[in-house]
Amino acid sequence: MKWITRERPKIDRIACPWLIKNFVDKKAEFIYVPKEEVFARAKELNAIPYDIPGAEYTHEQDHCTFDFIIKKHNLTDPSLHQIAMIVRGADTDRFQLAPQAAGLWAISAGLSYNYKNDFEMLEVGMKIYDALYSWSKYVSDERHHWNPNP
Amino acid sequence: MKWITREHPKIDRIACPWLIKRFVDTDAEIIYVPFNEVIEKANELHATPFDVPDVEFSHYGDQCTFDYFVKKYQLNDPAIHTIAVIVRGADTDRHDIANQSSGLWAISAGLAYNNEDDHELLNKGMMIYDALYSWAKYLQQEKHTQSPFENLLLDVFNKFLKEKGRGTRKPPAWAKELKEIIQDQIDTNLSLSLKEISKNLEVHPSYLSREFSKYFEDLSFGEYIRKLRIEKATQLMHSPKYALTEIAYLTGFSDQSHFARIFKKYTGKSPSAYRKSINKK
Repeated sequence: MKWITRERPKIDRIACPWLIKNFVDKKAEFIYVPKEEVFARAKELNAIPYDIPGAEYTHEQDHCTFDFIIKKHNLTDPSLHQIAMIVRGADTDRFQLAPQAAGLWAISAGLSYNYKNDFEMLEVGMKIYDALYSWSKYVSDERHHWNPNP
Repeated sequence: MKWITREHPKIDRIACPWLIKRFVDTDAEIIYVPFNEVIEKANELHATPFDVPDVEFSHYGDQCTFDYFVKKYQLNDPAIHTIAVIVRGADTDRHDIANQSSGLWAISAGLAYNNEDDHELLNKGMMIYDALYSWAKYLQQEKHTQSPFENLLLDVFNKFLKEKGRGTRKPPAWAKELKEIIQDQIDTNLSLSLKEISKNLEVHPSYLSREFSKYFEDLSFGEYIRKLRIEKATQLMHSPKYALTEIAYLTGFSDQSHFARIFKKYTGKSPSAYRKSINKK
């Protein structure tokens, strides 16, 4: 399927493609267009609009689009739920939701500043969420110390 | 110059090479070897060892190696000092010293897990620290929900407040300017929040709306914006191209029933009745 949303992604519009590609629709193709063109182009290209008011896949109250996809597709992996809190905190300016939210926001805002091309941004962003997933799934208990000679 | 340290880097041994390449020695070559070979290889390759015990470029007290590089090369850029605290927090397991440390740690630990090759990891790490640097230098005050238009408004209000501070009695240029900006932006569907603006200005919202209404038809900021949005909606209704739900969205209403309610309040008719009345004409 094609998935379409607003251009200049930072958090939710990077995290959702990562989630879709890895857990919902392996063959997904992602399209970014100016905000006012999303619905028209969605019809034209037979794409699913997301993260825009008026679409099925969008924010619900204080939950972001990432949360909606998890709910809609019954994704139960606990790591995804942990990442969802971080994404929600970073995406909705509520950094108290997860300790990692402020760092994710800083890095994502900076990446968006450095990568003006939405697809380059998506490519780099995919690596960030791959990393968060591995951290959550395999190394979240690990602590880091200045202890080079254990 | 060659710089050498222990293999399997995570935080300090990625952040330091970034700092070296960007601010100290752009042609730096970074070498990662097993811990017990660092000193021997350093001598052999004429490389400077870092982030191992008993060398100059290392931890001192509660400061990490990144801190030492900043001090040694007298790097005064405040953005680097911001990053230093984040790195120190992530590298020394004191995530309380900077809000961003926990996130940096999680992303760095995950990247290290996903990339077996230290140099591949370093390449990705360079992007992370480039991003942190841009954030620290240009975006620290930016909130995710803030739109560029609000920044414009802030500039205009700031100008106004400055003029007021000088006690000038001139007709306010800011009001005219603001009116034009709002008119421009109403076409591009951005939601504006006076609360957000006043928070950034550190003045009370009611103060701003009071000053605002003096120059905007006795309307508060919110009323004025809403009026323009409804006017825009009535214009869009003349085109059969748009469904009412689309018009609601295009004029900044995410909720259809809210749009209908506000629309009726301003025009006396529901959106669908209004549209019908246009078509009759």
